[in-house]
Amino acid sequence: MHDGIHVENAGIPSATICTDRFVPTAAGMAKMWGAPDYPTIFTAHPIENLSREQLRARAEELAPQVVQVLIGDV
Amino acid sequence: MQDLGETTTVQWDSALEAIERCYELGWTDGLPVVPPTVDLVNQFINAAKRASSEVVGQIPERRRDITVGKVAANAAMAGCLPEYMPVLLAAVEAMLDPVFNLVGPSSSMGGSAILSIVNGPVAKEIGLNSRNNLFGPGNRANATIGRAVRLVLMNACAAVPGLYDRSVIGHPGKYTYCIAEADTETHWTPLHVERGYSLDQSTVTVFAGESPRQIRAVGKPEAILYAIADVSSTLGTNMSTSGSVGDTDVGIRQGQIVVTIAGNSDLWKDWTKEQVRGYLHANIRRSVADLKNAQVLAGDVEPEDAEKFLPLVPEPEDILLVFAGGEESNMSSVIPSWGPKVACTAVTKQVR
Repeated sequence: MHDGIHVENAGIPSATICTDRFVPTAAGMAKMWGAPDYPTIFTAHPIENLSREQLRARAEELAPQVVQVLIGDV
Repeated sequence: MQDLGETTTVQWDSALEAIERCYELGWTDGLPVVPPTVDLVNQFINAAKRASSEVVGQIPERRRDITVGKVAANAAMAGCLPEYMPVLLAAVEAMLDPVFNLVGPSSSMGGSAILSIVNGPVAKEIGLNSRNNLFGPGNRANATIGRAVRLVLMNACAAVPGLYDRSVIGHPGKYTYCIAEADTETHWTPLHVERGYSLDQSTVTVFAGESPRQIRAVGKPEAILYAIADVSSTLGTNMSTSGSVGDTDVGIRQGQIVVTIAGNSDLWKDWTKEQVRGYLHANIRRSVADLKNAQVLAGDVEPEDAEKFLPLVPEPEDILLVFAGGEESNMSSVIPSWGPKVACTAVTKQVR
């Protein structure tokens, strides 16, 4: 969250993905850095046990949202 | 009242009501705190002999400046005595040193506590315990200085459990975790002297660590060191896990480790700290075969992997050896670090 917001503030489009167990932490960081509406992308927790193939499938599922956030269409 | 920066002021009618209000305000670690009245907090600021608005350090990722006043308020709540302030301030200054990277150990799922190790004359002056029940309970200075470090983390550094502190397991040291080295009761060079300070200086060394693991090996130095190396080489610590940080050439995270050795120092008369560290560095290790079986390293186990070993501690000086613990026995303990050195390194600061 910290890095995504700072990269965005530096003029470089960014997209930040968090798992849904981190919603309050992500919201807190966004508020702390003056970006309460920062468009965080959430995905189901956990991801640490996913196989390479499952992780790839998850990435493909999220890709359209990432593109939307990067082009500012949110 | 002296300038504390942003504060919350409330009125209390009784001590018990005040304690309950502190819970409601989210100022506690779960145990009751001493209500931080203006007079009490001022006593701590005066004992510090520093301006309350002086910034001790920052946690930039959370936009927090930690002032002497904030430390004083938390020291009061923790039950410290005002004369503990210089030690507490050194601990806070150390954990806010950029090298310590506090945002890591105070937020990570890996869950560490900040261990404070006090050296030098100040330990005896304020009554810190370095012997029986080293990690507690029973001694006010150890208990409350360690607790104040945690309250500073929670109240001033925003390391709030479930919010920015996402530790999965946590551990009891997160309530309090402060020890002193029995540095006048051993021929061994004290930790702070090894780290560049003089005998008459006092210091605090902070270390982001797991909980201590007691080792019941006694008798001969060789037997004790063999057991310490065995316990320190276990799978499942930060040091023996794979990870996305650290020296990626090694394949495992590695990390620093605190080793405490108790009892009578005479047992170690033929050993220097340097020799102990040398032995442990060479023997805290794990075979490539084990690391592959545990899926820490990728790939199939090859016949030669049983004889190939990876060191879990990068360098001998990454073993922080402390002579401390009860005189009853030469039992020891090990505390693996929370993260690899690149993510968090032990820091020592002088008590001023």
